[in-house]
Amino acid sequence: MNTHGTVREWGDNHKFRKGKSALVSALCVLAGILVVTPLALVFIYLVIQGAESVNGNFFTQLPKPSGELGGGMANAIVGTFTLLGIASLIGVPIGVLGAVYLAEYGGPKLNWWIRFSSDILNGVPSIIWGIVIYGLMVVPMKGYSALAGGVALGCLMIPIILRTTEEVLLLVPQGYREAALALGIARWKVILQIVIKTASKGIITALLLAFARVAGETAPLLFTALGNNFWNRNLLQPISALPLQIYSFATSAFDDYHRQAWAGALVLVTLVFVLNISVRFLTRDKA
Amino acid sequence: MPQSHTLHSFDQALTNLRNTVLMMASLTERSLDNAMTGLFERDSDRCNVVIADDEEIDTLEKTVDKDGYDVLIRFQPVASDFRQVIATMKLSNNLERVGDAAVNIARRVKKLNAHPALPEAKSLEPMYAEAKAMLKDSLRAFTDGDMEIAGALKPRDKQLDRMNKDIANQLTEAMPKQTEQLRGYLNLILIARSLERVGDHATNIAEDAIFAKSAEDTRHSNPIKV
Amino acid sequence: MSSPSTTAEQLAFDAKDVCVWYGEKQVLFNINLGVRPKSITAIIGPSGCGKSTFLRCLNRMHELVPSARLEGHITLFGDDLYAPTVDPAFVRRRVGMVFQKSNPFPTMSIQDNVVAGLRLNGIRDKAFLNEQMEKSLRLAALWDEVKDDLHKPGVSLSGGQQQRLCIARAVAMQPEVLLMDEPCSALDPMATQKIEELMQEIKRNFTIVIVTHNMQQAARCSEQTAFLFMGKLIEMDSTEKIFGNPSQQQTEDYITGRFG
Repeated sequence: MNTHGTVREWGDNHKFRKGKSALVSALCVLAGILVVTPLALVFIYLVIQGAESVNGNFFTQLPKPSGELGGGMANAIVGTFTLLGIASLIGVPIGVLGAVYLAEYGGPKLNWWIRFSSDILNGVPSIIWGIVIYGLMVVPMKGYSALAGGVALGCLMIPIILRTTEEVLLLVPQGYREAALALGIARWKVILQIVIKTASKGIITALLLAFARVAGETAPLLFTALGNNFWNRNLLQPISALPLQIYSFATSAFDDYHRQAWAGALVLVTLVFVLNISVRFLTRDKA
Repeated sequence: MPQSHTLHSFDQALTNLRNTVLMMASLTERSLDNAMTGLFERDSDRCNVVIADDEEIDTLEKTVDKDGYDVLIRFQPVASDFRQVIATMKLSNNLERVGDAAVNIARRVKKLNAHPALPEAKSLEPMYAEAKAMLKDSLRAFTDGDMEIAGALKPRDKQLDRMNKDIANQLTEAMPKQTEQLRGYLNLILIARSLERVGDHATNIAEDAIFAKSAEDTRHSNPIKV
Repeated sequence: MSSPSTTAEQLAFDAKDVCVWYGEKQVLFNINLGVRPKSITAIIGPSGCGKSTFLRCLNRMHELVPSARLEGHITLFGDDLYAPTVDPAFVRRRVGMVFQKSNPFPTMSIQDNVVAGLRLNGIRDKAFLNEQMEKSLRLAALWDEVKDDLHKPGVSLSGGQQQRLCIARAVAMQPEVLLMDEPCSALDPMATQKIEELMQEIKRNFTIVIVTHNMQQAARCSEQTAFLFMGKLIEMDSTEKIFGNPSQQQTEDYITGRFG
């Protein structure tokens, strides 16, 4: 670095500096490409392998018994949404209300512990959740069930929703809370009508991210929802889910199952992709 | 001024204003002195100096007013600063009037000097001494914020009024005996009246000094019976 | 310094020996200050002198800081604001507040902003809300500018308009007093003058207490001025007296710019 001379003299290094700038820019672009390439490759490969099997049957039919051609993953798709529904019944209220507590009420000491433990939970491998729910629900209830699977996913969602929602709530300027409180509005109404409303887009974003995150989880479901090959309308019975179905088909010995596993993977990735895209859409609108 | 302003240029502007008005004050005192010495020593040259210097006094008055406006506009002074500026502008106005009185005296002295000396001219000496002292004291009250001197000026002005009245009476009585010097006596009476005016302005200056220092308006506080 | 209490009429605010602590740190020391009704009282003082804290004590907004503690008494038209049975929300309905930074609710339209306080306090009568909305916007001298855009978001207005919207929102609650915490510090001179003009209008029906850094503003707008320094009330008197000939040297030094 030239630290001597006048600004005018620094100008003599113009070419060198421009060169450096170009080099660093090129490295940034390279890094960007390295990040995007695997994603693109995976998606392209999935489309090549799975696109032909994603057809009407895939969405409407049950899996055929092994050896038979055709069939679909209708039960797994419905199962995935059922599990997400149960999970959100647990994860959304606890996560959002916990975040409200953290952002609006809690004292500094308690908040520190809540944040700390939620960050630890966030780092717990998902299979551990599966085992925990297995021990807490599957064993006492003497059977795998959709309910247990949903609870496991819900528990996974809690720390994600808690932390992201808290961030979003803290982004709401203090001035709005003060303005509302100064109007003599009760605290809970201020939080509900002013703070949460102002942060609503951010909160929805947080929820969608949590959905996207748990939609692809397989490990906790192996111990809880188990999976099956037929329709199940009883939440206390095992239920299938896309990741489970993909797992069992992909590890089987039949080519037709492999083909359907590819299709399932494509649908799952597309689902996550759509969720993420809608998140981008919402956050862009917010600004 | 107890402590300087955070804004240095404000201090400078106030000091500048003060210096201009003090220069004007010394010039005015000198003019009055020249005019009266011209009378006592029958020196018309001094009177011409008075008439010439008046232009400078007038210019300084305008300068003080302009600088005063500038301070008011630029710094929007409050409290003691505000009173100081207002009092300074009023002071320059009073000084200009004292300067006019000096010119008035000088013109009459020149006329008197064109004729044989009047022995009664000497009788104006004590009155002049008092008027001069009052002007000096009022200026000291202004510069030093000396409230004691300022407060004493009003009774002294009454005293000066009495002196003026006495001189006027004395000269009026002398007039019928010296009919050929009627104009001269009239001029002496009018010079005495100019001196009495100087006393009035000194009193005004003292009142403004009190206002600047303590924000009290002492004008017309005890009406004088004439 | 004791506040002028020679008037026979009841004081709007009467603060007696108010001391405030934030945690261990005392920020207000034995403030005794009376605010006359239907007049404008300005509180001036250097940053950190406690003027905003004192203002916030008048509607118990200082309690938002968990470590804040107050001793002493403040009454509003004779009612003790700190009696144990008094709900802070009730105090704040009687004492409106306008903040330094305009803060219309971003999710609400102009008209919803104005009646937000009424609505969220449970008033549902549409006719009354509409009437109150127009009345408040007119009082805030904003009606003519926004009457065709009432459904637009409040944040779409200019800075000065937003601040007037906040004033409308505060007066819509029909408070007895309006507290203003440096309401013009982010506004240009024209917008500032509009707010100052508006204050003269509002003062007919409300009592106003304004905290301001701008001494010219205090001199222009207020009838009474209080000077706070280091958490103590140094002097309170008529505005003419404070800016013409304050009786305390500290006040004189502050207003003439001879401070530290």
